[in-house]
Amino acid sequence: MKSLFSLKTEHKYGYIFILPVAAVLGILIIYPLLYGFYISFFQTNLINRWNFVELENYINIFSGNSEFVNSIFVSIKFTSVVVLSHLVLGLLLAVILNKKNLPFKELFRSILMIPWFFPEVVVALLWRWIFNSMYGVFNYLLMNLNIIEDKITWLSSMRGAFFVVVFTAVWKGYPLILVMILAGLQSIPEELYEVAKIDGANSFQTFFYITLPNLRSVLLVSLILDTVWWFKNFPIVWLMTRGGPVNATNVVSIDIYQTAFQSFNFGKASASAVIVFFICLGIAMIYKSMITEEEM
Amino acid sequence: MKLRSNVKIVLFTLVFVLFSIMSVQAVTLEVMDSVIVESPEREALLQIIENFEEENPDITIDYQGVPMNDAYAQIPTLATSGALPDVYLATLDFIGTFEDMGIATDLRDVFSQEYLDGFNQNSLSELTVDGKVLAHPFFVIPMGVLYRIDWFEEKGLTPPETWEEFLDIANELTEDTNGDGSVDRWGFAMLASRDGSGGSRFIQIFRTFGGYELRLNDEGEYVTDVNTPQGRNAFEFFTELNTEHEVVPPGPMEVSYGEALNLMVTNKTAMMVTGPHSIGGIIERNPELDGKIGAFPLPMAQDGGKHISVLNTYGHAINPDSDKKEEAAKFLKFLVNDESALLWNEMTGRMPTRTGLLQSPEVQDRPDLAGFVEAMDYAEPLPTVSYYSTIMTDILPSAYQSIIVGQATVEEAAERAEERIISLIEEN
Repeated sequence: MKSLFSLKTEHKYGYIFILPVAAVLGILIIYPLLYGFYISFFQTNLINRWNFVELENYINIFSGNSEFVNSIFVSIKFTSVVVLSHLVLGLLLAVILNKKNLPFKELFRSILMIPWFFPEVVVALLWRWIFNSMYGVFNYLLMNLNIIEDKITWLSSMRGAFFVVVFTAVWKGYPLILVMILAGLQSIPEELYEVAKIDGANSFQTFFYITLPNLRSVLLVSLILDTVWWFKNFPIVWLMTRGGPVNATNVVSIDIYQTAFQSFNFGKASASAVIVFFICLGIAMIYKSMITEEEM
Repeated sequence: MKLRSNVKIVLFTLVFVLFSIMSVQAVTLEVMDSVIVESPEREALLQIIENFEEENPDITIDYQGVPMNDAYAQIPTLATSGALPDVYLATLDFIGTFEDMGIATDLRDVFSQEYLDGFNQNSLSELTVDGKVLAHPFFVIPMGVLYRIDWFEEKGLTPPETWEEFLDIANELTEDTNGDGSVDRWGFAMLASRDGSGGSRFIQIFRTFGGYELRLNDEGEYVTDVNTPQGRNAFEFFTELNTEHEVVPPGPMEVSYGEALNLMVTNKTAMMVTGPHSIGGIIERNPELDGKIGAFPLPMAQDGGKHISVLNTYGHAINPDSDKKEEAAKFLKFLVNDESALLWNEMTGRMPTRTGLLQSPEVQDRPDLAGFVEAMDYAEPLPTVSYYSTIMTDILPSAYQSIIVGQATVEEAAERAEERIISLIEEN
C-alpha cells in the first residue's frame, strides 16, 4: 500500500486540499453516525452506566406490541401523503407559474413562497391555534358559513389530528418542490414545445410526452429530499399533537425522542435511529437507482 | 539599568492590578430553572435574586430559563456533554433519573442535618432517593381543585367530598350562559393532554380511587394497580367526564396546563385540578378574578377511595462537578429564608417548604390557599424510580386518550397500560 509520501506530487496536493473538508465531514457526520451505532449496543444513560447488551435493543424494539413498529407505519403513512401532496401541488403550481402570459407572476411567486420562509415551530403553533377546538379560526369560519353546527375537535380525534398535521406539513413544504420544478421547467428548451405544436400535439400530450420526461431527474431528486426530510420530521408533529391522540400521529422521530428523553433509554433510542437511518438510506438508493448516469 | 527597573515596576503594577481585579471579581453561579420563564414567577424571582446579590456582592447569579416540559430533555443532554450549570431544577418525577445518572450532589454533605430537618419532611422525601437528599426543596404545589367561589355561591353549591358530588356540581355549572343555544361554560377544565401536565394530574385523580399506578408491595417489589377495579373505575370516571357527561370543553386532549389556565382566565370553566401556583397566573391575566378563586382537596371515590395530594415539590440540585457548592448552598438557603419565601408565596401562590413558614399566619390565613393547606394533610409521595416519567407522560396519557377517542374500552386500555408498566418494571 502506497504511503502519502510515495504518491506523485499532484496526488499529494489533491489529498491535502480535500483534507479540511474530509476532517469536517468526519467530525460532523461520520463520527456522530458511528457513535450512534456504537451506543445502540449498550444499555446506557451516557454518563455512568454502560452495559453491553449485544443486539438486545434491536430485539426489544421489534418485540411484542412494539411502539416503534407502529410509529414506522405512521411515519410511512404520513410521509407518503405529504410527499404525494407536495408533488401534485408543486407540479400544478409550477406549471401555472411557468405560463408566459400569467399576470402578476412575480407577486404570485412571492406569495406562494411564504410558507417556506416561516420556521417550522412558528408554522406548527400557528396552525395549532387555527385548528384549536375552542378558539380556532377554522371552526369559527366553518360555523359562520353554516358548514358545521358544532365545533369540530380537530386535534382531539385520531383522523382529525392526522389530517391537521398532514395539512400543515403540506402547507409548509410545497414551496421547495414548487421552486425545484419551476427551475426544471425553465430549463426545458422552448424548441421542444414548438416542434410539438407543429406536430399538432395538444396540451395534455405536450405535458406527458415533453414536460414530464424532461422533469424526471428534477422530480426524483426532489422526491429523495422531500421523502427523507418528512420521514424524520419532528417539530411540526411534536408541537401540534405530541404524537397523539393515542398514537395517531406518533411518527418515528417522536418515538425516538420519547425513548431517549422521557425514558432515558439512549441505547434503545439509538437502535431505533439506526433502523431509521437504513430506511432513509434505502429510500434514497431506490430513487437513485431510477436516475440514469446521463440524468445526473 | 534604569530601563530594566522601569520595566520591573510596570510589570509589578500590572500583576498587582490584575490580582486586585481577580480578587474583587464576583463568582458567577449558573442556575437553570423553569419558573423564571413564567409570570408572575419571573418578577418574584428577579426580586429575590436582586436582594441576594445586594447581600452577597461577591456572588452573581446567571439565571437560565427553560420551559418545564423541556427541562428534562435538556438536563441529561447537558450532563452528557459536561455542560451542566452549577444549580438546576429538580422535581420528584425525575429525581430517580438524577440518581441513576449521578448528576445530583447528596445534600447531606452540603447542609447540616439540623437544617434539613427544618423542611417539611414530605417535601424532602419527594427529593430523596435511597436516603440521599438530592435536591433542596424550594416550594411545594400541593394539588387540589381550584374553583370559582362566585359561581358556587350563585348556585348555592359547596365544595364536594366525593367524585359523585363533584360530577353533580360540574353538571350544574355546565350551561349556555348567553342563551344562544350552545354551551359556553363548562364545569371542569380537563387536562387530557399527552404530557406531564396531563399525566401528573391524572395520577392524583387515579389515586383517589384507591389504586396506585406504581407502588411497592409487601415483598419490596414494584407493582401496578392500573388494571384493578379501582384503576378501571378511575379511567372510567375520568374519561366519561368528556364522553358521557360532557362537563368539559370540547377537545380535552388539546388541553395542557397553559390551555386549562386560559379556560379559567376567560371564564369558560369553573374548576381545574392544579396547585396554588395557578392562582397568581390567573389573577395576573384577569385581575377581576381576585377574591373569586378558592380551592378544595381532590374529591375521593365513594367506595374505597381517599383524599390524595402530591406536594409536587420543586427543588434545586447541585452539580456534583461544580466547584461553587458553597456559593450554591448560600443561594439556595437564601431562596427559602423567611423573607424570600413569603415574597415568593405572596406573588406566586407557591407554598414554602420550611416547616415554620408553612405554619405561619401569612400562609395559613390566606383564604385562597386554605384548600391547598388542607390538601397537604393528604400528601403522599410518588415513587422516585428512573422510569416514572414514562408512566406519567406516556403510558397513562395514552391509556386515557385511547378510551376518549374510542380506540379502546376501559378494560383494554387498562390492560395495555398494565402490560407496558410491567414491562418497564422488568426492564429496570
